[in-house]
Amino acid sequence: MKVRLFFATDVHGSEVCWRKFINSAKHYEVDVLILGGDMTGKAIVPIVDEGAGRWQYTMQDVVHNMQGDDELVLNERLIADHGYYPIRMTHEQVQDLTAHPEKLDELFKREMRGTVERWVQFADERLAGTNVQCIVCPGNDDTDDIDEILATSKTITVGEGNVIDMAEGYQLVSSGWTNLTPWDTPREEDEPALKERILSVVAQATAPPDRLVLGLHAPPYDTQLDVAPKIDWESLTVKGQDTAHVGSSAVKEVIKEVQPLLSLHGHIHESRAAERLGRTLAINPGSSYVEGTLSGVVVDLDGKSKVKRYRLTMG
Amino acid sequence: MATNAGTQPPAEQTLFVRKASGLVKGWSTGDGFRYSFFSTNIFLGIWGFLYAVFIPGGSVFWSIIITTLFVLLEVVVYSGLISAMPRAGGDYVWQSRVFHSSVGFIFGATGWWFILWLWIPIYAALCVNSFIKPILRILGAGGSADWLASKNGVFVASLATIALATYLVAVGMKTYARFQKWALWIGLAGCAVAAILLLVTTKAHFITAFNREALHLYGTKDAYAATIKNAGAGMPSSMFAGTFKETLKLIPVMAFWLLWPVWGATLYGEVRGAKDFRKNIYQMAGGLLAAVAIVIAFLFLVTKTMGWAFFESSANGYMGVLYAYIDPSKVVGGGDYLSPTAMTAWIVNNAAFQVILIAVISLLVFGWWGTVFLSSTRMIFASAFDRILPERVAKVTSGGVPVYALLLMAIPSIIVSAFYAYQPSFVQLTYDATLVIAAMFFVTGLAFMVMPWRAKAIWDNSALPKGKFLGIPWLAVVAAIYSLFMLGNLVAWFYDKTNVYGVGYKNKNSMIFMGILYVAAIVIWIVAWAVRKRQGMELEAVAKEIPVE
Repeated sequence: MKVRLFFATDVHGSEVCWRKFINSAKHYEVDVLILGGDMTGKAIVPIVDEGAGRWQYTMQDVVHNMQGDDELVLNERLIADHGYYPIRMTHEQVQDLTAHPEKLDELFKREMRGTVERWVQFADERLAGTNVQCIVCPGNDDTDDIDEILATSKTITVGEGNVIDMAEGYQLVSSGWTNLTPWDTPREEDEPALKERILSVVAQATAPPDRLVLGLHAPPYDTQLDVAPKIDWESLTVKGQDTAHVGSSAVKEVIKEVQPLLSLHGHIHESRAAERLGRTLAINPGSSYVEGTLSGVVVDLDGKSKVKRYRLTMG
Repeated sequence: MATNAGTQPPAEQTLFVRKASGLVKGWSTGDGFRYSFFSTNIFLGIWGFLYAVFIPGGSVFWSIIITTLFVLLEVVVYSGLISAMPRAGGDYVWQSRVFHSSVGFIFGATGWWFILWLWIPIYAALCVNSFIKPILRILGAGGSADWLASKNGVFVASLATIALATYLVAVGMKTYARFQKWALWIGLAGCAVAAILLLVTTKAHFITAFNREALHLYGTKDAYAATIKNAGAGMPSSMFAGTFKETLKLIPVMAFWLLWPVWGATLYGEVRGAKDFRKNIYQMAGGLLAAVAIVIAFLFLVTKTMGWAFFESSANGYMGVLYAYIDPSKVVGGGDYLSPTAMTAWIVNNAAFQVILIAVISLLVFGWWGTVFLSSTRMIFASAFDRILPERVAKVTSGGVPVYALLLMAIPSIIVSAFYAYQPSFVQLTYDATLVIAAMFFVTGLAFMVMPWRAKAIWDNSALPKGKFLGIPWLAVVAAIYSLFMLGNLVAWFYDKTNVYGVGYKNKNSMIFMGILYVAAIVIWIVAWAVRKRQGMELEAVAKEIPVE
């Protein structure tokens, strides 16, 4: 029997993208939903109290002024859909956070946890009573405590470091860890350690390669899936039009050695592509979370040993 | 990793960022400026002025100014779309998203893919006539220059262009990007030298120098006077002279040069992450205005040193022979293109200096034309990912070469180049190269105009200014005006009663050529739709919005 997967990744705190991800089960009539990592947002947008019911925030160099609660709530929603955390605060609180990084860290943790808790609740409401399997794997930008919150869900299975059974004997091997980045993110390590980590999870799989799906956040190195603007690691600036392959050689080696049926990746938002590596179809659907658009891929497995078809989506 | 989500902290922090991938500064405004400047290529402008001889009653100067003002609206429209949907594939993606998959493919494929086949021989002709032939003549290789003007020569030059463009996309873009940087500055330095030459040279000195070189290279005596006498009938005496009505007719001519500051549209998604609306405007408008400023300065210098009547007569001599309304024996070199670059270099009576100056200035063209296939491959990739084209089309070799996408560009380009070289009437389809892209730009303008309603979620989620004019977002108003401008151009090209642009309904070849392009795009989409339907896949569903609530 055919099994249909929907895979999306890198929603980075976007409220609208998470809702779309959960709703995509019905929209694309899929059996399995897989989120490939990087759930949490990257930034807090302070909405500053200017007094007399006036508020102001700046996003992408545009200054937004609001008057009254209705406008405030609407703009908070827009910021959250964008993937950022909107926080109301005074000028004094902004300065306090600027001066005290530890307070900022605490605020980030609180917002990330709060958002994921709300997302879990939404997923449980929507997916309860359906036969949809929902697998969520954090990515390199997600802190460890996210896994614990996801584990409280009644409908979500946590992917990190696990082998997860799917319909028709397919299995998903999942990890959100990546090779080193210039940002020193929570889940990254050098290539040998990453390879060892992935192989240790693969070793737990009992399905044959032609029924095995890898869900690895980092894309394989030197493919169409891992092209990003070239960055100076010191200044964190983009080097003109130059691009570079920034994926993981460990991931590529594992794919070549194991030759699973399908390999799903994310991490590099700009590198939306599909490529065959030997018998394996590797896909990175990219990410357009900033637009509030959910980039994904619908994959039909034939119930045997082949990917029947796939289509990249922008929903 | 996103590319420009982070900013430097201002006096009071407006954004707190944590350790997360992608928090980098976007690529520099200078990089974007350079791309737009190259694309609004000043030599495409000078080459395009040739066609102004068909509308002698219009003012070249004012047509440039008016067209530039409207193209600034284009810059706003494209900056907005790039900011709201920064995706590789550009117009194809935006139109698919706002209207329908079929609309995006039909206009995207014809505008960013098929019609680029015709740009190949146009690029080749521009380079050969403006730079290579003049250099060969100065070096005493007149025979080779004549051969390059022959049918075989035009075809071989086109093949060389195809080979270079293919090579660059296949393996050499990084090196080429570095070459572009140097090419811009060296080419501009050459232009500065040429400008100084034109500035300090009197008209009398120029006439003497021109006559000397024309006699030496072509054997024509008193060539300056002969050019005006034999090819100057009806030509304007000033770049300002002209009626308003005729000046408006020149706008579609200027569009051939000025529509392209947004040429990088299909690339923005993957390499730039350019979500900053204002920065996009600065980059593209900067490139456009710099090119216009240089060309206008050049035209003033031409007027002062060469004389406007002579400049127009020399252009008319070339076009007259090409379009067979002037006897070749009556004009210098039998109708050889008198490249303004070469004529400027001739001021100095030194062959080595002349060759070096022309070669240096030519870098402004060679730094640009290599990218002719780049945008096309991105559009092909995007439609392959959307499953309109087969998966195979987006395949790359182990060395990273998008071999099938390149073949889809290179092979038809060879066929079109053969027609261009061996079918004399095919050269008259030059404006089709602009028309088909302009049609795509027109639909993109409409897409941005209706975006606040048709793609409300994307509009609301974008950082675009949401100010309104009479209750309508002012950006939609800008898009409406721009769309009207493009529609005006399309009408002028199509309903061309006097066949002045040569690609309207009176030119059967043009209608057939464009008809083939559009029918091919429609057929491909319908076949893809039917095949995917049979496979249980809805093409329309690719971009169908997933419910939020």
